[in-house]
Amino acid sequence: MAEPILKIHDLQVAVDDTPILRGLDLEIPQGEVHALMGPNGSGKSTLAYAIAGHPRYDITGGTIEFEGEDVTEMEPDERAALGLFLAMQYPVEVPGVSVMNFLRASLTAVRGEEVKPREFIKEFDEASELLKFDRSFADRYLNEGFSGGEKKRHEIMQMALLKPKFAVLDETDSGLDVDALKVVSEGVNSLRGPGLGVLIITHYTRILRYIQPDVVHVMIDGKVAQTGGPELAEQLEERGYAEFGPAEAATA
Amino acid sequence: MASPAWADEARETARATLADLPALTGREEDWRFTRPRDLMLEGPEPEAPGAVGDVDVPEAGQRAVRLHLADGAPSEPAITELPDGVVVGELGSALAEHEPLVRDRLLKLVGAGDKPGALNAALWSGGTFVYVPAGVDATLPTETVTTATGAAGRVATRTLVVVEEGARATVVDRYLSPDLPGRVHASTAVELFVAPNAELEHLAIVDWGAGVHHQMVLRAQVDRDARARSVVVTLGGDVVRVEPTMQIVGAGADARALGLFFAGGQQHFEHRVVSRHEAPNAYSNLLYKGALQDQARTVFYGNLIVPPGSPGTDAYQTNRNLVLNEGARADTIPFLEIETAEVKCSHAGAVGRVDDEHLFYLKSRGVPEAEAKRLIVLGFLQEVLEHVRLEELRHELEAAVERKLT
Ligand SMILES: Nc1ncnc2c1ncn2[C@@H]1O[C@H](COP(=O)(O)OP(=O)(O)OP(=O)(O)O)[C@@H](O)[C@H]1O
Ligand SMILES: [Mg+2]
Repeated sequence: MAEPILKIHDLQVAVDDTPILRGLDLEIPQGEVHALMGPNGSGKSTLAYAIAGHPRYDITGGTIEFEGEDVTEMEPDERAALGLFLAMQYPVEVPGVSVMNFLRASLTAVRGEEVKPREFIKEFDEASELLKFDRSFADRYLNEGFSGGEKKRHEIMQMALLKPKFAVLDETDSGLDVDALKVVSEGVNSLRGPGLGVLIITHYTRILRYIQPDVVHVMIDGKVAQTGGPELAEQLEERGYAEFGPAEAATA
Repeated sequence: MASPAWADEARETARATLADLPALTGREEDWRFTRPRDLMLEGPEPEAPGAVGDVDVPEAGQRAVRLHLADGAPSEPAITELPDGVVVGELGSALAEHEPLVRDRLLKLVGAGDKPGALNAALWSGGTFVYVPAGVDATLPTETVTTATGAAGRVATRTLVVVEEGARATVVDRYLSPDLPGRVHASTAVELFVAPNAELEHLAIVDWGAGVHHQMVLRAQVDRDARARSVVVTLGGDVVRVEPTMQIVGAGADARALGLFFAGGQQHFEHRVVSRHEAPNAYSNLLYKGALQDQARTVFYGNLIVPPGSPGTDAYQTNRNLVLNEGARADTIPFLEIETAEVKCSHAGAVGRVDDEHLFYLKSRGVPEAEAKRLIVLGFLQEVLEHVRLEELRHELEAAVERKLT
């Protein structure tokens, strides 16, 4: 087995002093795709934000290691520069900041060196084409007026441009029509390889038929309750989370 | 050429008014936020801090005419191309050379009735005169750069623009200086006459170095079905107070006062923006956005005035401020004075901080915090820049704001 790209040990995260993650362990070997499923409110997005370093998600215990390096205390931009990427469940609209200017700043920062304008345009166009974005999106303001599906697809376009070593996709499939789901899945699959680890957070097996996971985890009440193969996703879709106990009882 | 007798008399009257007017104390309602003596409206005549040389005037884009007023002193304009009948000249020379065009208009919008007005009317040394005859298109910008070199304690200039019926014009006033070793007072009066069906875009770019204390009073008179836009960009100067008024005198007019400012260090900016609907069925929009950091202080006062007899008025006023750190302070005072029924008016003022979610989104893509904030501030101000009609000017302004932000 490859070295883990992501290794989370006994992670405890609180939001506004309310504990959400309560001792979570997770290890993802580089090159693998893992799925994370779990009921609403179980803490999946909290985990995603904690991995990316969102300041509202207070890490009160445990560690996050990325490629063997402890990133628990790092700023989000430092993590991104190491090769970490989060496709958000609700991508943020940033008024007045054009997609082009933003992504040039982003690519420059992640590469750690100036990207020549021609080289940037070339890569930008490639990523746009892969995710079926028209050139006109370059001049639009970041996520402003994008449809729900366009926002999700644009997250993967950014991933294709930035070429991270590890990506968390937080419900990228929610709200996508069949065609968009295909485009997104093909995009992710084309990036898949020994140099990319992926954590797909989802409620549905639909996306997992396109992007086949190596491992499936179930999250209940801020912890990984079960880990299995792809068949676990099918079971969950059929039976739900009842066998893990009522969510209310778990949260109480 | 000697200036005509009426002009000399106007100066004399202004001098007398200046001497007669009671001293401004700073306790007046209009002067609560910026002390009159910080603008050298009271106190001894400012002394020249000593010349440090003129500023390098950045080669901006294509211009029809360029005029450079060093310390406000008159000079010859450099004319590239002007459509037939269009006059662009130094205002002092125009008093005699274009007497019939100037005489009835000079001091009619910004007069000598109050302290700042009287001071400018008495002391102005140079200025800009633009006249566009009916139906002529002069949208290629005319630009005047007024600089302060430190050789003079006061720099007092005026701009007079007349756009006749159905004509179009773009006029840029830019104010620049190097950092000066002491205080210089700048006084500016801008009068804009926009005739029926005419179109005018006026840009004032205030980008002084340290030491300059500037007061600008701008008034546009907007006639029937005319479109007038005032854009004020305030970036540089220790204390800057800008007072634009859009005075609508003809039905169906469209008047916009747009502004953006970025203040840092100890800078103090006050913008007092008014639209006055003296005719029915007109549209006005005041939109000012500012960002501030360090210990900067900014004040926005806006007023929509709709006197009786202006039904069908459609007027908006918005001021938003982005405060980048504790210690900087923005005040916003949006006002309405509405005395006509059947009008549509709205006003909004807000002071906020950089949204954490915006910052996180950018940082999560690798953009370091300082650069992310810069992008967010530029994005915030972009809404105002979008209204600048000429694309080339818009890009120049974006570049000026970006320079200030680094
Ligand atoms: N910013 C926040 N402020 C307050 N509560 C929060 C915040 N973020 C998360 N929570 C709470 O933490 C719990 C876990 O939320 P989280 O978003 O991680 O769930 P999730 O598993 O992603 O759910 P879903 O499947 O609905 O997306 C919820 O009870 C939620 O209300
Ligand atoms: Mg979620």
